[in-house]
Amino acid sequence: MAEDFGEGSTAGMDEYETLMATTDVELLKTALRNEKAAPEILQIQTQLVKRAREQIQLMEETVEEFEQSGMDPLTVSLYQMDLDRAQFLLRSYLRIRLQKLEKYMFYIWKDDSLRNRLSEPEIFFVKRCIDDMEKHLEETVLSKLPDNYQSAGRQSIISEEDDMVPEPQLDTFVACKSSNRFVSLRLVDRYKSSFFWHLLSLIFSFFQKQVCKFAFINLQWETFGDGAP
Amino acid sequence: MGAGFCFSKENMHGRLACRLVKEFNSGEKGQLNHFNEELLNEVAKECSENFLVLQSLIRKMQEEGLDFQTTRNADHYGALINHLSLIRNKRCLLAYVYNRAEMIQNLAWTVGLRLFELPEEIQEKLSHPEKEYFKKHSSALESYMSKVDLDLNVDMVPPKDPYIKVRVLDDVGEGIVVSDKAANFARHSMHFLKRTDAELYISRGLMEELTG
Repeated sequence: MAEDFGEGSTAGMDEYETLMATTDVELLKTALRNEKAAPEILQIQTQLVKRAREQIQLMEETVEEFEQSGMDPLTVSLYQMDLDRAQFLLRSYLRIRLQKLEKYMFYIWKDDSLRNRLSEPEIFFVKRCIDDMEKHLEETVLSKLPDNYQSAGRQSIISEEDDMVPEPQLDTFVACKSSNRFVSLRLVDRYKSSFFWHLLSLIFSFFQKQVCKFAFINLQWETFGDGAP
Repeated sequence: MGAGFCFSKENMHGRLACRLVKEFNSGEKGQLNHFNEELLNEVAKECSENFLVLQSLIRKMQEEGLDFQTTRNADHYGALINHLSLIRNKRCLLAYVYNRAEMIQNLAWTVGLRLFELPEEIQEKLSHPEKEYFKKHSSALESYMSKVDLDLNVDMVPPKDPYIKVRVLDDVGEGIVVSDKAANFARHSMHFLKRTDAELYISRGLMEELTG
């Protein structure tokens, strides 16, 4: 055991770090960070949310057990603190998604690929949001306008597409963190059209690298959906 | 000009709508102004007037046997101006109502999900349909929360400590039991409570957190 310690400790530390980086709390943190940074809605992490909920419940039970068994209050409060943080992460994650849905309900609803990123309850929520908002606009403004101008999404009957839908600003700057891996990719026009998200804080000497890394992250964001950031 | 286009400053197209939007913008950030139903209706009336002129100009061109799609005469441009004014007015009206609705959504997150939880001075600034909208939107939020079985309108700030120091701002009464302890929550008394317990009262303005 003692010999293992000397030689294997760096490898052990690395392993430990990798392990830590893939715990659900870390994954949830990443999911929250991504959701917060991205101007549009990302794929819901259904499995992750489910696991987080199970773990939170388990922790709640543990804390309760500790309290009843008369464990040292300090230890209990440490567990409680951990629990509170996990709950905050989960709530914030779901909350930030709902707030995006509120803001861009029409935009998200009319695009199938965006709609597929939502969970079942979110779909119900956004549907209700749209109904309520449409009804509100109808009652307050649209019913008072002339016939050909009563659509909420189109300026008038001669508009060929929905030209009054609030959209997220995709051509914008976001702060991002590069992952460890380095893949040499260039930011191409393809991204400009959909996801032209720039790096906010750059160290100039690493400019090229960072941009490349960023494109990599960008790629990941476009393709992940199975919960692996 | 036979286009019903008036240059007097008072009646210039779109002026009222502009005032409406400016009024929304003039409020302090995050603060609602009174819902200006009167001005909103005036703008809507202007829209109807635009539409009447538009229709009559099209009719006139039809009577003269001109093709509306291809003819480019004064009447055509007059109609166009009225159409564009109408669209602009519509956008202003919707911007006014929609942006207010967004602030109302925000109230549900920051103040409370029930209408009676909103302070009197906010309630009186809302129009009747806006109150209805608030109720419906809150119930949409609630139904989401009950589906996922998680309260989302608590825990708005990252937790630092499981316990916080609070001061009671109002007579909360004695009936309140926080966790397992029943304390005397007299006005101005200070307590050391579990953050999760206190948060509810803080958001309703019954307690304030003491920092530092």
